[in-house]
Amino acid sequence: MVFLTLSCWIRNRGPDRFWKVQELLKHARHFRGRKNRCYKLALLAVRRAFVYATKGRKLKKRNMRTLWITRIAAATREHNMKYPILVHNLNKCSVQLNRRVISDIAITEPRTFLSLAKLARARQQEGFQAALGDGKEPPGVLSRVMLQ
Amino acid sequence: MSSFSRSAQQWATFARSWFLIDARMQPPGKIATMCSVRLQGKHKPIYHALSDCGDHVVVLNTKHIAFSGNKWEQKVYSSHTGFPGGFKQVTAAQLHLKDPKAIVRLAVYGMLPRNLHRRTMMQRLHIFPEDELPDDIRANLTEELPQPREIPRKLSEYTQEEIDAFPRLWIPPEDYKMK
Repeated sequence: MVFLTLSCWIRNRGPDRFWKVQELLKHARHFRGRKNRCYKLALLAVRRAFVYATKGRKLKKRNMRTLWITRIAAATREHNMKYPILVHNLNKCSVQLNRRVISDIAITEPRTFLSLAKLARARQQEGFQAALGDGKEPPGVLSRVMLQ
Repeated sequence: MSSFSRSAQQWATFARSWFLIDARMQPPGKIATMCSVRLQGKHKPIYHALSDCGDHVVVLNTKHIAFSGNKWEQKVYSSHTGFPGGFKQVTAAQLHLKDPKAIVRLAVYGMLPRNLHRRTMMQRLHIFPEDELPDDIRANLTEELPQPREIPRKLSEYTQEEIDAFPRLWIPPEDYKMK
């Protein structure tokens, strides 16, 4: 791609209405309808497009994270687990992989992902065992289990 | 060589599989969730909304679906013909008598995203009121999905031994009058 803008500016020396219009239309050439050639309409459309682009920079992060979560959820369901269980237990194991990396692993390295799922499953079982305790009542508690 | 094997692996990535669901005595909403996930391709780790990676779903026995509660009488399907006074309302029972496929189809249609891919995804849903399948569809099937609900047994399906062995909360006395 050849950028002639700078050289044209130097040749012209000073502001010129034509080059001002071209500067703006440069951003509007791919628009649909008269917006891509009429200055007055292009001005509005380009301004709107830049506003959308600014907002889109934030939205992109949010949308990508949603997509990773959808993908991880799909991969987790293949191993009969649910997404929150996987993520919670990986967090408990201090596995420091973010969702982007986990979803990449789920696509390109299914066996690595399976080991992650197994790790989370094992951590979940450990948590259940810890919650059940050693099968005895806590001190100072009377229950039907003790009476038997 | 590795590139050869890699590309060979990727050919099948976007292949469409055909799922079979038996809807006999199942709630239509549960069936529809299973269908909509697979029609969208949300069960695959490669999912993307624009990559058209959904699968085909074949639903059998939609004539024998089971609504819970009073939904057969009280669930209302509304539509408008576009003409004045053209607002139609039918109950689930009436709709089911008219078209045994309609309830499942509408449930799935409502669970798909409202975009231009919706009709395309619906074309990959194949509904059959009974359990007879055409041979061209039967040949494509790759996997049968388990039913979301266990079908309850009728009293007539229990043997006499099982009925006798069933624990009784209260045994009426000899002279007890049943009404």
